[in-house]
Amino acid sequence: MLPVIRPTSIAAAAMLGAATAAYGQATPTEAELARKLDQLAAELAAVKAQLAALQQQRMQAPAASAPAASAPSPVASAGAAAQADTTPAGPATVFSGYAELNYNRPTQQPENTQADLRRFVLGVQHRFGPATKMVAELEVEHGVTSADDPGEVALEQAYVEQQLGRTWGVRGGLFLIPIGLLNENHEPTAYYGVERNFVETAIIPTTWREGGVQMIGQFGNGITLQTGISTGFDLTQWDATSTEGQESPLGSIHQEMALAKARDLSLFGALNWRGVPGLLVGGSVFTGNAMQGQTTTSSRVTLWDAHARWTPGRWDVSALYARGTISNTAALNAPLVGNPTLIPSAFDGYYVQGAYNLWTQQDYALAPFVRWERFNTGKSYADLGPGLTPSPLPTETVWTTGANFQLTPGVVVKADYQWFSVNRDANRLNLGLGWAF
Amino acid sequence: MDRAADASSLVVTLVTAVALAPTSAFAVDYLSADEAAKLMFPQADRFEARTVAFDAEQLQRLQAAGVLPRSARWQVRVALRDGATLGYVVVDDVIGKFELISYAVGVGVDGAVRQIEVLSYRESHGAEIRLPAWRRQFVGKDASAPLRVGDDIANISGATLSCSHVTEGVRRIVAVIGLARQVGALG
Repeated sequence: MLPVIRPTSIAAAAMLGAATAAYGQATPTEAELARKLDQLAAELAAVKAQLAALQQQRMQAPAASAPAASAPSPVASAGAAAQADTTPAGPATVFSGYAELNYNRPTQQPENTQADLRRFVLGVQHRFGPATKMVAELEVEHGVTSADDPGEVALEQAYVEQQLGRTWGVRGGLFLIPIGLLNENHEPTAYYGVERNFVETAIIPTTWREGGVQMIGQFGNGITLQTGISTGFDLTQWDATSTEGQESPLGSIHQEMALAKARDLSLFGALNWRGVPGLLVGGSVFTGNAMQGQTTTSSRVTLWDAHARWTPGRWDVSALYARGTISNTAALNAPLVGNPTLIPSAFDGYYVQGAYNLWTQQDYALAPFVRWERFNTGKSYADLGPGLTPSPLPTETVWTTGANFQLTPGVVVKADYQWFSVNRDANRLNLGLGWAF
Repeated sequence: MDRAADASSLVVTLVTAVALAPTSAFAVDYLSADEAAKLMFPQADRFEARTVAFDAEQLQRLQAAGVLPRSARWQVRVALRDGATLGYVVVDDVIGKFELISYAVGVGVDGAVRQIEVLSYRESHGAEIRLPAWRRQFVGKDASAPLRVGDDIANISGATLSCSHVTEGVRRIVAVIGLARQVGALG
């Protein structure tokens, strides 16, 4: 009787034979590799077992410490559960950027129509460790920067931030001053209208930065406190022959940490409350001497603001008041009499703005808005005597209405029209494209 | 498969296992995932780890519901008491403005959000999303709610991106849990 040979036995024998042949022909290196492979597989099995045990321990931990817990029961994991549920903190270095491309067409003076790559900013943030990071932004204004072009290259921010626990952090370097609603959040996607509002450009010189040290405290009741000491303004830069000081008194004397005169440091503080979802109420103050020891006269520049923003549902309503004062301007202005732009003793402005998210479809969003603002960059001048004291400038009122159209979060197309009550020739149509990432 | 390839795939597996091991050093850690789960379901006597894996058709259903699924595999902690399911906890990360925000979402068996907890926040601005008042806006909302900033969720001024991205993440997790329960992946 012939033995019964099953096909499976043949296959097994063939496989065994092939395997033996393979091993028989193996070079010592290959054999060694095979041994190492087995060793590696065993080690992997051990690691897997350890991981599974760790996972089980982690899952059981809450139950073990729960008041009502009985004896910990084994975890019946329905899956491999090997995926960690906390991920690493992301890449250590992150690039960012934002830009604004604007078109302004004064309807009374179309010959002054301009198209401008207003700003192109590249940012980098690098995390040195869990609690330490560096933030920097490099800005190019007006497209081309050279001796013959109007552009400007500047560092907007360059600071190191150290977290000091759950509530406090400290920032050192060149940072944005916490004031108003725009200065620290100035990307084109963050505000309505092609141009930033006048109050936060003419009165608060957005984007305003100083070099110094700042403490930031974020409290559980919704209060954020920022306070610090920094470089300040340089009144010796005041150019009475130019109108720059009328456009923005502080914008014409800020130093931006470019070989900044730093004998006189300034103090600042900002308090913001966000305790109710959708509501922000806050205020800030910045004050310091601004003669920097260049003359025997001292002069203090103080700027403060109060602001609120409310975003219930589709609405976005905000209001802000800002006021600046410069002391001892009589003494400073006396030698400047006869020039077009003397130093004001006070300047202020305020605005109210309302926007409504009218239409959204997937990433598209259309938000019309209207803004009313009044500002005066030369509200009062110190008395120099009859005939010498400059008259206060007229208060300008600007109505702006238009819409922001979000193409996708981070990209915005804007259109608006602005009416000026004093400088009516400036009435203009604005179109803009902006992005931020 | 040849041995060399086998060996290299083993090495890859090992490296992957190490890479997936939980990291604990964050800029500002407020809670661990376990602490968050316990906070959300204090009456649970144990949490069971489930890995939910959706197939292509299920992912398409999520997408059709207006949720970008982002991942086919989701790890869910099922909160149990005496064997009965109390709810689910999912830990996730979204990018705020520049950095990752780690957060946990607790969903009840009714499919409604029970609680949101921020586990780690690393941005310089916007940590206000941790405020209880902001997180409370999500409580009780299920897949039928818009769960969108500027609609049923109010924004935090100065933290728009953090708010939007966390809200988006919550909307995704609510949909993921809903679908997982529908297809029986959560028992």
